[in-house]
Amino acid sequence: MDIHVTVNGRPEVWQAAPGESALELIRRLGYTSVKRGCSQGDCGACTILVDGQAMRACLLVAAQLEGRAVTTAEGLGSLDRPHPLQRAFVDAGAVQCGFCTPGMLLASQALLVETPRPDATAVREALDGNLCRCTGYKKIVEAVLLAAERMA
Amino acid sequence: MIPNAKTCLYPKDPPQAVSLLQEHGKRALILAGGTTAALSHDPEVEVLIDISRMGCDAIEPQGGGWRVGCNVRLQRIASHAGLAGLWGGVLSQAAAAVGSRPIRNAVTLGGNLVQIFRWSDTPVALLAMGARLELLGPRGPRSVGADEFYARHPRQVLEPAELLVAVQAASPVGKAGGAFIKYARTAVDLAVADAAACLRVEGGRCVEARLAIGATRALPWRASEAEALLTGQALTPARLGEAAALARKACKPVGDARTDKAYRERMVEVVARRALERAVANLQERA
Ligand SMILES: Cc1cc2nc3c(=O)[nH]c(=O)nc-3n(C[C@H](O)[C@H](O)[C@H](O)COP(=O)(O)OP(=O)(O)OC[C@H]3O[C@@H](n4cnc5c(N)ncnc54)[C@H](O)[C@@H]3O)c2cc1C
Ligand code: FES
Ligand code: FES
Repeated sequence: MDIHVTVNGRPEVWQAAPGESALELIRRLGYTSVKRGCSQGDCGACTILVDGQAMRACLLVAAQLEGRAVTTAEGLGSLDRPHPLQRAFVDAGAVQCGFCTPGMLLASQALLVETPRPDATAVREALDGNLCRCTGYKKIVEAVLLAAERMA
Repeated sequence: MIPNAKTCLYPKDPPQAVSLLQEHGKRALILAGGTTAALSHDPEVEVLIDISRMGCDAIEPQGGGWRVGCNVRLQRIASHAGLAGLWGGVLSQAAAAVGSRPIRNAVTLGGNLVQIFRWSDTPVALLAMGARLELLGPRGPRSVGADEFYARHPRQVLEPAELLVAVQAASPVGKAGGAFIKYARTAVDLAVADAAACLRVEGGRCVEARLAIGATRALPWRASEAEALLTGQALTPARLGEAAALARKACKPVGDARTDKAYRERMVEVVARRALERAVANLQERA
């Protein structure tokens, strides 16, 4: 079926089987910032924004995206023009292997839209569904707070 | 992934959803939040029915209580100011206890109530509030109490092509409180045990007590011996403790990968006591 989506601000029509995993579909179309970790909703590596809300792509099928606006890390910023969150993740040393990073960025972005100046508790709550095997989380929380400060 | 799905339909309202379900019968699969349905893998499913666009996403005051549509996502319930005042916020607390933030952004109240697992959180709050469930099926609308909805598996209560459309909970009259407590290994894990308590008091004595326990058996259940012990009595700490001990005695839990029976039994007493204590602590006269 044809699926009409707005991806990172651009309208697109995707050809997909209605029941296929949104995660597999999005990756096949080249948005490989969306990572496949557990494929069952536990890790957060596949986080995307659907109409601004952080969701697990692995728990959606393609047909559920019909008419929705999807944001992936590709839509946040680029190497030349990084998003303040991306800049802050680098500056705060919040990236090690980087596998969790796109999901962390998107969950953080959803938080900052809703709460521009969160405290550390609010950041930890917003990221409670994103696992990181490397950093120990401390620098990730610092990075989000730094970005919030810079964006204020 | 649903391997053989050929099409997806997007009903505009509940009656249309019901007729599509009737038309496609066993070949149809409902998608609400999708958090369980998306992983179904059922080869017989050919038609997906995405009910998330049929409305039913309001949280609205109704006749002194609240009505919550089946498509409301749990994160909205968890942060809703009005529901925070309903029976001490027992439903909001149960919604907040489900999984992690992105899970709550996706899971609908209807999905959490119908697609029930042993550890499902919001059904426990519904039993404690004495809520009612609004259903719509081929034979029209009907309303069933939470006790009836969870006396069997909800899928056996729902008739073919019947939908859960909304939940209604009346606000208590007079002085009342409530609370939901979940004990899990981490902040985002499934419950080892959970409990919800709703209490109403008149002239220093308890006139209404409901204590519901989850995660112990296939379906959530009410600790009726504990409720009977509290009714008509002053809610002293000692009596709350005795009631929680009765819940433990009645619970007959299963063991699983998370914990064995004995530990789960002990945790039932702990969550039951804490839920009762917190319900007493937030007893409030309705304005
Ligand atoms: C990683 C993870 C952690 C989780 N943790 C918890 C937790 O701690 N506590 C908890 O309680 N839950 C938890 N859940 C959620 C739970 O397991 C279910 O996935 C969820 O409740 C299903 O809701 P949904 O809206 O996504 O329904 P869907 O998956 O879209 O629907 C599932 C099925 O429910 C039925 N259904 C849905 N809505 C209706 C309706 N209105 N009328 C009739 N039938 C309907 C249909 O048969 C449908 O096919 C977790 C889920 C995941 C993936
Ligand atoms: S891959 Fe989706 S949550 Fe892990
Ligand atoms: S940086 Fe490696 S998983 Fe987070």
